[in-house]
Amino acid sequence: MMARWFLLLVYLLSAMPGQAGERPQRITSINLCTDQLLMLLADSEQIASITDLSLEPNSSYLADEAVRYRVNYRRPEEILAQQPDLIIAGEYSPHGLLELFEKLGYRVERLPISSNIEMIRANIRTMAQWVGHPERGERLIRQMDERIARVSANRPGVPPKAAFYQPNGYTSGSNTLQHAALLAAGWRNLPAELGIQGYGDILLEQLLLLQPDQLFTSSYAPGTDSLAQKELGHPVLKRLTRGQPIINIGYKYWICGGPMIAEAIEELHRSLPR
Amino acid sequence: MNSAVNIPYRNLIWLLTALVLLAATLSIFIGSNPVPILRAAREALSDTHSVIALILTEIRLPRTLIALVTGATLGVSGAAMQGLLRNPLASPGLIGSASGAALGAVVMLYFGFGSLFSLATPVGGVVGALSATLLVYLLAGRQAGTLTLILAGVAINSLALAMISLLLNLAPSPYAVREIVLWMLGSIANHSMDDFRILLPGVLLGWLMLIGTGRSLDALTLGEETATTMGVRLHHLRWRIFLAVALSVGSAVSITGSIGFVGLVVPHMLRPFVGFQPSRLLLASGLGGALLLLLADIATRLFPAGTDIKVGVLTSMVGAPFFLYLIIKSRRYQL
Repeated sequence: MMARWFLLLVYLLSAMPGQAGERPQRITSINLCTDQLLMLLADSEQIASITDLSLEPNSSYLADEAVRYRVNYRRPEEILAQQPDLIIAGEYSPHGLLELFEKLGYRVERLPISSNIEMIRANIRTMAQWVGHPERGERLIRQMDERIARVSANRPGVPPKAAFYQPNGYTSGSNTLQHAALLAAGWRNLPAELGIQGYGDILLEQLLLLQPDQLFTSSYAPGTDSLAQKELGHPVLKRLTRGQPIINIGYKYWICGGPMIAEAIEELHRSLPR
Repeated sequence: MNSAVNIPYRNLIWLLTALVLLAATLSIFIGSNPVPILRAAREALSDTHSVIALILTEIRLPRTLIALVTGATLGVSGAAMQGLLRNPLASPGLIGSASGAALGAVVMLYFGFGSLFSLATPVGGVVGALSATLLVYLLAGRQAGTLTLILAGVAINSLALAMISLLLNLAPSPYAVREIVLWMLGSIANHSMDDFRILLPGVLLGWLMLIGTGRSLDALTLGEETATTMGVRLHHLRWRIFLAVALSVGSAVSITGSIGFVGLVVPHMLRPFVGFQPSRLLLASGLGGALLLLLADIATRLFPAGTDIKVGVLTSMVGAPFFLYLIIKSRRYQL
């Protein structure tokens, strides 16, 4: 009980107008995923720079918007030259780099990776707090939840069987955003039922024995060639799903956890068999 | 010569054929998941497209066929190369054909040519193999001793491998860099019947060209001059074998990556059994190569599930110690 009151107090204090002046004004993000949330939640004047990765349309959901900002290449000199008052990094950003910034007295925050929708909500909240716009975070979450709820209300009674098959024989088991999205859209995720957790290998024979109704893929760079990508063209895959081609869902929806997951869920829902 | 083993040639061929068939059957039966093969075969023949029938016809069968044909190609090419150059170190790999083929295939596959027409990758492989061999030949000079030829081969090999790494680093696909290992060690997993059909024409053409070189290779064992007086057109023979090896190895490697040591080791293993006669060694090595690669591929699948060991790793693990043994043996002769 006490804790809840305390949290409410903290919330009220941070939402007080007097605190607004303490919003960071020169935020630098050095990770693709923090770039995305930063662009969604901060005022554009607050952003000192984002990474060049955000310009790449296959992996960045906000690639169009990213051109408005200065980009950094995650090199210490250029970031220090920007004199940021907040450096936002991903959980797995280079340790040495972040420690250097901290040693020099910069404020560094690390955003964890999200592997389900609840973690996406938590990350949006965290980022909204950091940039000083918690109300925007709540609004973003509400919009995302409404879109997901609309899709989930129309899920089929008996969900059809699906699996992700990526170049190199990778698949998405439980505890991945693809898994969460498939379930929310009304599919079964077969590899998860096989016991695969996270992103794992699946042998072609194993995949066949699962007998999915539909295969999905979400490859990094459509239009390029490699042996790994050629595996998706194996004729057996098409025959397995009775001529249904593999459906490609953009990578930008889940390479980073964010509200764009709703769009992937809608796309997955549209590909349900009629 | 030492220790010829007395088995009648015909019996040897029958024995090897039987072993190859046995290994091929075994290779169809062994996989990551236990599948009732006989039922699968029945369902495949009766056109019910069940999953196990698909596993049999679309996954296991192409893998077995590709292993068989690639192994045979490497074996036969190795035997032809060793016969032609009369040197135990010669092999399609050592003369640059294999790495050249891999380089050619890499250029075609990763830079968008592979999707232009289906034969692009094997054509790249053949051209690569041919240019590498030609380069080795030119570098070494026309009257080159075998040592020079082999040194030139080593140089061209490392150049080709370096180029493969460089190109894969520059390739637009994010998956390319990981595949350096695959091209250098070879893998025959996850191929389709389409791949087999793509590989086949070049390989068959190469095999056809090698038929009938046996007599000339036999004559060549007496020395180049004697062979010439016996009517062997040495220059002609050389080009024929180089072309045949480039065609068959080039096509095979463009699908499987360069699988090491099969072409080197197999002829040596079988030479005592055919009375050291190059003409007989050709067919025997072809069968032996197929057998070795099939067995190696079966072994990769018997490794603990989930890890996909590349078949080239296994052939090299057999091949490298054998190579050492060769060096030690030849050192004894020289001292």
